Amino acid sequence: MMRRFFAPLLAVGVLASGAARAEDTLSPLHFQSQGWSGTIDKAAAQRGFAVYEGVCASCHSLHGLHYRDLEGLGLTPAQVAGIAANVRLANGQPATLNSRFKTPGAISMGGATPPDLSNIVAQRPGGTRYVYDFLTGFGPPPAGVSLLPGHFYNAVFPGGQVSMPAVLRDNAVTYADGAKASTAQEAADVAEFLTWASDPNLSARHAVGLRAVLFFAFLTIVALLVKRRIWREEG
Amino acid sequence: MQMEAKQAGLTCLCAGWTRKDRAPGAPWAATLPVLLAALVLVLLASGAVLAVYYDPRHAFWSVQGIMRGVQGGWLMLGYHRVGAGLVFALLGLHLFRTLLVRGYRGAGAMSWMLWVTLLAVLLLTGWLGFVLQGGAGGHWALLNATRAAVMMSGFPGTVAMWFFGGPAGGDTLARLLVLHAVLALGAAGLICMASRAAKRAKPVPNGQVVAFWPVYASQYFAALAGLALVFSLLLGFAPHWGQGMQSVFAPTPLLVAVPVSYPWYLWPLARLAGLLPGVGGQVLAVMVLFVLLYALPWLDRSNGAPPRRLYKVLIWLLGLDILVLGVAGPMLAALCSAWVFFHFLVLTPLVTAMEAA
Ligand code: HEC
Repeated sequence: MMRRFFAPLLAVGVLASGAARAEDTLSPLHFQSQGWSGTIDKAAAQRGFAVYEGVCASCHSLHGLHYRDLEGLGLTPAQVAGIAANVRLANGQPATLNSRFKTPGAISMGGATPPDLSNIVAQRPGGTRYVYDFLTGFGPPPAGVSLLPGHFYNAVFPGGQVSMPAVLRDNAVTYADGAKASTAQEAADVAEFLTWASDPNLSARHAVGLRAVLFFAFLTIVALLVKRRIWREEG
Repeated sequence: MQMEAKQAGLTCLCAGWTRKDRAPGAPWAATLPVLLAALVLVLLASGAVLAVYYDPRHAFWSVQGIMRGVQGGWLMLGYHRVGAGLVFALLGLHLFRTLLVRGYRGAGAMSWMLWVTLLAVLLLTGWLGFVLQGGAGGHWALLNATRAAVMMSGFPGTVAMWFFGGPAGGDTLARLLVLHAVLALGAAGLICMASRAAKRAKPVPNGQVVAFWPVYASQYFAALAGLALVFSLLLGFAPHWGQGMQSVFAPTPLLVAVPVSYPWYLWPLARLAGLLPGVGGQVLAVMVLFVLLYALPWLDRSNGAPPRRLYKVLIWLLGLDILVLGVAGPMLAALCSAWVFFHFLVLTPLVTAMEAA
């Protein structure tokens, strides 16, 4: 709410300083999509798409999505067409707006296959935050923990051992909006992107829901008053 | 001439509708059948739209496609999902209230049995809907059911084979879709029949009638508005409440045999079915439950007067028991399930006979 209120002021500030600075979502860590009235942070999700495309797409599919869906993140059809045209599908043809996201070839690492990420946020409790914690949870194993072959230590993965390596590092991608691509920023952005991928109608649902609730709350009160009055007169 | 006749017919119809007289001072709970009917209409309408885009051969990804690619598809899915949950909530309330006021006795027996039939039909429809979503949970549930069904011998086995086409055969979901829709239409019919039967069972006492318009119309309108409010709250802010995570996983042949997590309205029944071992036991438990519900008007040995304190307490206990049953672990679930049978088989005849004495 406050953010929406101050957005025009902020915009003026940004113009004055002459540099488009991305909003800081890291200190403290927060996701605009969370909470009962959350909406997808389109700027973050666009950056998150860059992370997905640049880092995750070589292992993880996103089967539920078509390239045209990216327009939902605020990209123009021309931009999306450009993104799709750069993708070579398995049949050698460039992707189009109506192609599904390209599926990487079959991969098996340490006995595990990379899961499809279309619904990953809905498939884990506290999904958005989990994806962030998972991606930033890699590190050297604590003393006394010996890793299985082909496994890596991850603090939040159940069991602590995962067959996905730590793939994010500072400047793994270059952001078009000039945001600094720290590991944490990349993790937060791709988490917001995957939140959108799992629930692309989240913003619309909250907006429609809020309006409907207000309308029907009003209607219910009026209807109750009318009913009371009629019953007093007739009954 | 014809015009006149038509007009007369129309006025007659309208008058019949608006002049439907009732006893004064009906409680809010008396609006439940109308609310149920409204929800079933929402389900039929949204279901018709979903059926257009649904592909039984790629169930999971077609539902995903409706959510992601169809204009307003996510809303239709939301209507259908939230509507389904609310239908069970309201039918549960209605049955509970009928028990509490002993509305199932005497002239009320007919409508009671129709409401119980509605419960059975809706539970089956809900199970089918869960399966039709094509998520991992539904897939496993279907696999278990069809495997058990085709193992049956004789006539039931033939029917099962004919119906399912082998263990989750390729076209099984297409058949289940038709069944799902037919049952939903049946549910609408049952609501009409049960409401009529209820009205016939309780004729308005002479001399103290109240006109439908505007007295009851205003009550129905307020109740419908309240329902729409709850509906929007769920639709906007908790559309997946109680659905279980398994429905957002595509079914993979690699992962099987974890317990199926059903949507919440199937929780009590699924646990109650587990009281007896084996698939046959599960079917038996559910069948016995419904036989007892049908037989309730005769299990009740009272003279039909409004129930006394002890019986009411027992009904409240039963309601609580079923709620607990929905979320209980295995041990407690067995206890709660046993209590349901104990309530109908032993406590009901005993306590009602005491009341009659
Ligand atoms: C080198 C291939 C590879 C890359 C690149 C990769 N992953 Fe993974 N990922 C895997 C594998 C393999 C698994 C399965 C791990 C397991 O089950 O042990 C996995 C699992 C996951 C999981 C599921 C964890 C869980 O709780 O089960 C998430 C979430 C995930 N990856 C996200 C990402 C994201 C986001 C990116 C891009 C930043 C990414 N991955 C890049 C191989 C990869």
